[in-house]
Amino acid sequence: MSTYTFSMRARIKEFLEYVGGVSVLLVRTIGWIFVPPLKKGQLLEQMKKTGVDSVMIVFLTAFFAGIVLAFQSAYTMRQMSAEIYIASLVSLSMTRELGPVFTALVVAARVGSSITAEVGTMKVTEQVDALETLATNPIKYLVVPRFLALCIMLPLLTIYADFVGILGGFVVGVTKLHIPPYLYIKKTFDALVYKDIFSGLLKSLIFAAIISIVACYEGLRTKGGAEGVGKATTMSVATACILVIAFDCFFTALFYFMF
Amino acid sequence: MITIKNLHKEFEGMKVLKGLNLEIREGETLVIIGRSGCGKSVLLKHIIGILNPDQGEVFVDSQHISKLKGKDLVNLRMKFGMLFQGAALFDSLDVFENVGFALREHTNKTEDEIRQRVVQSLESVDLGDILDKKPAELSGGMKKRVGLARAICNNPRIILYDEPTTGLDPIMADMINELIIRLRERLKVTSIVVTHDMTSVYKVGTRIAMLYDGKIIAQGTPDEIRNTTDPIVKQFITGAAHGPITDNRNGQKNSNK
Repeated sequence: MSTYTFSMRARIKEFLEYVGGVSVLLVRTIGWIFVPPLKKGQLLEQMKKTGVDSVMIVFLTAFFAGIVLAFQSAYTMRQMSAEIYIASLVSLSMTRELGPVFTALVVAARVGSSITAEVGTMKVTEQVDALETLATNPIKYLVVPRFLALCIMLPLLTIYADFVGILGGFVVGVTKLHIPPYLYIKKTFDALVYKDIFSGLLKSLIFAAIISIVACYEGLRTKGGAEGVGKATTMSVATACILVIAFDCFFTALFYFMF
Repeated sequence: MITIKNLHKEFEGMKVLKGLNLEIREGETLVIIGRSGCGKSVLLKHIIGILNPDQGEVFVDSQHISKLKGKDLVNLRMKFGMLFQGAALFDSLDVFENVGFALREHTNKTEDEIRQRVVQSLESVDLGDILDKKPAELSGGMKKRVGLARAICNNPRIILYDEPTTGLDPIMADMINELIIRLRERLKVTSIVVTHDMTSVYKVGTRIAMLYDGKIIAQGTPDEIRNTTDPIVKQFITGAAHGPITDNRNGQKNSNK
């Protein structure tokens, strides 16, 4: 019993230390954003790595998600002869939910893992210490560009995923369900209001902060060589994915009651 | 120049430094010897302020390093250069960007001025035209020398060397030792070298201190250390497998708990 209590206490302590560590890193990162100079070259390079290089994987994920969503909803809608509402369902689901969440999960896996592996390798090979000896703050140099790049690029990728997902639904609706293209497009835009798009974009901004801070935090606390980098990378992706879903749940509920 | 008073440091319940006191004088090359894992690198990281002590103080030019922040800390760190055990070159940057890193980050020098200074630093460590090469393209010895060029590029007053000859062949190790001596004579810097390579110790050191069980247990000139009667120091410098260090190992482990 005492061993169990001790183990529980240790786990709670570990959890609180983790939450505290991530929160402190987030606050420090936001603070360092306002300390000049902001290295534009580094920021652009990170925007390319996190955003531009993720375009293809986001395209594939969102396109297939749109297709699946259209087919699945067609199965039910057909029974009520309401296939035309598939357009509205796909557009609303993509902009409010699937676009932001799928894109965040894909980016957490692709970009979050890459950030943790890179920063973690720098940590275990003393490159992070070397930065400090060269009078350079690692948060300013390593975390700020990655945080800002993801906060800019993830919402843009989400808009792109929304569009591609709707396109996937359109392809199914027009070619397989024989809905006239004009009508499909009209129903898509009739269903959408600005708050659907903005609530999705707000979520994606929060997801970007979660993915980048968790990835950098895991990287900066990496210990123990290649094995440590591997563990940190796995932990980073798993934590970011869980947090993305948890925060999505929270904000979906919040927006439901607010709007 | 550097004063360390009653320094304590613990990692996850393991006491590494236990009340260490040490004075480092201007212009000298102090070599800190001790077994692997005894806390030599931890001591160096306290001197440059990467690690904060659990207890005790480190003063550099009468400034309490763990109390410095912002611009004061940057100014103090610019007085230092550090060569890491594995060189710690930034993988994503080429040699030019690595060596000129501090100048680009903290000075208003033009790109031409930085290039000139980088080339000078590389020449000081006997390296030619490798500005465009990435660290992955360099041999172990070249990496160490580029690391040394990076450490001296902003004309530091104090250079810290963490195991400068580890992992190098004897010829390259001797070349690094000669570079350390040359830099001391040419740039008049204060050097702190952490190593357990006794050939290096006697060649580069003007004073030697031995770290054992979290404290400095002996210090003196190379001759004084060579002729010591202290059984612990004697076992270490002769590299004997049996003696008080190895006999006390179990006792030390227990005292750490």
